[in-house]
Amino acid sequence: MDMKLAQAAVESALAAGADYADARVNHTVHEELCIQNGEVAAAESPEDSGVGIRVMKGGCWGFAAASVDDEAGVRELARRALRVAAELAPARSEPIRLAPLTAGSSTWETPYELDPFEVSLTDKLELLHTAEASMSGAEETVVKTAEMSCRREEQWMASSDGAELYQNLLRCGAGISTTAAKNGTAQRRSYPASFGGNPRSAGFEHIQGLALAANGERIRDESVQLCEAEPCPAGERDLILMGNQLMLQIHESVGHPNELDRVFGHEVDLAGSSFATTEKLGSFQYGSDIVNLVADSTIPGGLDTRGFDDDGVPSQRWHVVEKGVFKGYHTSREWADRIGEETSRGTNRAEGWYNPPIIRITNLSLMPGEWELDDLIADTEDGVLLDTVKMWSIDQRRLNFQFTSEIGWEIKNGKKTRILRDPTYQGTTPEFWRSCDAICNQSHWNLWGVANCGKGNPMQVAEMSHGASPARFRKMTFVR
Amino acid sequence: MKMDRELALREAKRLCDEGGASEIEVSVHQASEAFVRFGDTGPTQNADRDRVDVSVRVRLQEADGYREASASCTSLDPAKTSGALRRARKLASVSEPNPELAPMGGAVEVEQTELSEATAAHGFESKGAWVRQALAACRVADLQPAGLISTHGAVRTIVNSNGREVQGATSRAGFALTALSSGGEGWGGGIASDVEALDPEQVIERAVRKASANRTPRALEPGDYTVVLEPAAVSSLLLFGSYYGFGAREVMEQSSFLCGRQGEKLFPEELLLVDDARNAIYPRLPFDGEGNPKQRVELLAKGALGNPVTDLNYARKLGVPCSGHSLSQPNTHGPMAGNLVLATGDKSREELMAGIERGLLITQFHYTNMIEPRDLTLTGMTRNGTFLIENGEVTDSVKNLRFTQSLVKTLQNVSGIGATPEVTGALFDGEIVTPWLRVEGFRFTSSSDF
Repeated sequence: MDMKLAQAAVESALAAGADYADARVNHTVHEELCIQNGEVAAAESPEDSGVGIRVMKGGCWGFAAASVDDEAGVRELARRALRVAAELAPARSEPIRLAPLTAGSSTWETPYELDPFEVSLTDKLELLHTAEASMSGAEETVVKTAEMSCRREEQWMASSDGAELYQNLLRCGAGISTTAAKNGTAQRRSYPASFGGNPRSAGFEHIQGLALAANGERIRDESVQLCEAEPCPAGERDLILMGNQLMLQIHESVGHPNELDRVFGHEVDLAGSSFATTEKLGSFQYGSDIVNLVADSTIPGGLDTRGFDDDGVPSQRWHVVEKGVFKGYHTSREWADRIGEETSRGTNRAEGWYNPPIIRITNLSLMPGEWELDDLIADTEDGVLLDTVKMWSIDQRRLNFQFTSEIGWEIKNGKKTRILRDPTYQGTTPEFWRSCDAICNQSHWNLWGVANCGKGNPMQVAEMSHGASPARFRKMTFVR
Repeated sequence: MKMDRELALREAKRLCDEGGASEIEVSVHQASEAFVRFGDTGPTQNADRDRVDVSVRVRLQEADGYREASASCTSLDPAKTSGALRRARKLASVSEPNPELAPMGGAVEVEQTELSEATAAHGFESKGAWVRQALAACRVADLQPAGLISTHGAVRTIVNSNGREVQGATSRAGFALTALSSGGEGWGGGIASDVEALDPEQVIERAVRKASANRTPRALEPGDYTVVLEPAAVSSLLLFGSYYGFGAREVMEQSSFLCGRQGEKLFPEELLLVDDARNAIYPRLPFDGEGNPKQRVELLAKGALGNPVTDLNYARKLGVPCSGHSLSQPNTHGPMAGNLVLATGDKSREELMAGIERGLLITQFHYTNMIEPRDLTLTGMTRNGTFLIENGEVTDSVKNLRFTQSLVKTLQNVSGIGATPEVTGALFDGEIVTPWLRVEGFRFTSSSDF
């Protein structure tokens, strides 16, 4: 029925005069549970259904969206989308061109072992209560939180290029965090990552495997120790980033500047532009020669692992940076043509039915190197090891950044020593990646999910993962 | 979309009557939005869209507190809303009782607010005309444009089983333009409830003027500077007070910059920062996410920080009256001051810059974020036009700089307040009403190459 609705929308748009049309029917179910300080702080079950129709007329886009569920409703939506395109087409100086696509019928579903919506609420709450209780026992603790999120998004897409695509995306994640207050400061520690934990495209087995309760006591103690710790001193020293900090560096300083719509200035009004301009493609030394960054919408478990994007383009894997050299962009059917590429990379995505698609970072990972973490620490004379994202900021061209981690450990003469509070480092993107001289091996590599990436105006939220193992960056600047 | 107020009210009441819980709250949000994004080749993303969000919160009372849960759907179809109610009841039935929850509020009186007819009627042809104006002005000045024109209307209805029934409407119109050259950018923008209050020519003129003056910015050493902050820069800083400082949760958890400072005369006497949803310049809904009437709260007045804002739960925890600053419940964020208004002073732009031997005029900050909550230490980059002030006058544009500075110190160092208020937002959520500010000793810690 929902595919028929999408097809009816496309047919209506074409009959009314559209040059191109696609329609997405989305249905999302979501469950959010949160235990805070022993109480159920949130138990929520949102459902979200609607239709988004995109048409091209006179070389101009028009989009309309609403929560409709019958053919009369989608026909009216198609007319609205067409009216938008027709009324704005005179303001375009040149028509939008789409890269060619041979579309057909296809289906894609996230592989999983345990359907989270089949797990009883009692079992889920018990898991969270146990995890939350594991952080008890310190009088300095003011907040303990254990939370989980499970989401299933079904999408039926049809287009006038022949696409009939169904996908069923399942995402699950969980995490714990605790805040201690003492000595005029409040310090948070989180596990396995900040801002809700580490989500994946997977079933409930992913949450069961996170071992939340086994890490509660450790992060509780670390949050208290941070209140007693010295702030990380300013100065220049080596930096070792753990995977759950490095993933944000990949996201902000490689992923976003790699979105081709930004490069051409079309996101500059809010999100910003990019230093990674097109003349750099193929030759720019983005990082040291051990830096390999791979975009991959097919990797198992990635939050943006799917069958196809919202243009209907199949998922792909490609190098963004290979042996340190800048090699490829994230593109869409609309933007591929601008750099002379015949096909899109398949990274055009919308937040649900309510938004038109825009280029989004897909799963983007730093490939593992050769080092063991212990050897890397032993090899570092004067450095700081940073774990877990606390704060980030980067300029609108994605060059100058300043990031803070939840916790740092000073490294002196190859030994991890005292804890340092609010470790904050600052740098510029190419210099940062060029200073990378060691990357830990596959056994330390993990996929880290970003569930709250904002882009667009009005802003849309998208999900993706970044794989990383700990890596070292020489002579970085720490600030206070 | 016609936002059917009666239907929303009727369906909300029907769900409350459907019962099966000790307390039920239904919140309906109906919204209609039209926007055009544009770039160098004209309109790029253009949308005409509606949505309805129905959220149902239920409470099951036990001897030791309420079991609480919520569920939502995107339709006013009774089959779907009743489905949401059933899901919420099921979730609540397995949740543990929470002894800290206050009862839902009862009947209240709030004033009616209406949609702006002009904003609702502003169609795509009108938006297209503004796009053409912006493109033409940028073409003449050899600049590349990128921007957003949007109009939005929303009706919010909150009904609960304790007799509360409130409904209100808000409108928003916005026009923002960034103009780029190979050397730098310039920005102009406007936000209003009524689209007729926007001045597209002024927005375009401001962006083009700033970009034209910012084609060859020169490098400047980071350090401490006297700065004159335009409203869009002020908002990037003050909104962090909303996100992380002015709420009762942060104070109770000892992570707010209010902790240890409330009541102390630490700030200039003339600074008056209030949360006021009924302000005359940009009025918003007069009730909060629980349907509580929003109170005007003095957050910073007569040189001292005031009390945090509350919702029903935190008012009960603190033993104070509710100030009406709840987000939609349940939530873990706690109450939030979401309608900040910084009172105007008496200084013109020229008077704010007068006497500055060597300082900076800041158009906007980009990606401001918080390093430390207790001093509200923030960092971010300047963007869209940073200009050197020498001997009281703008003399040159400079490359962008990164600041790292406590909001507490920024407010302590305010040395001048502009006479004209503007409505302005930031990269993240939220909009405030603020004039220009002059601040002494604002710390920049690094610089960019552009």
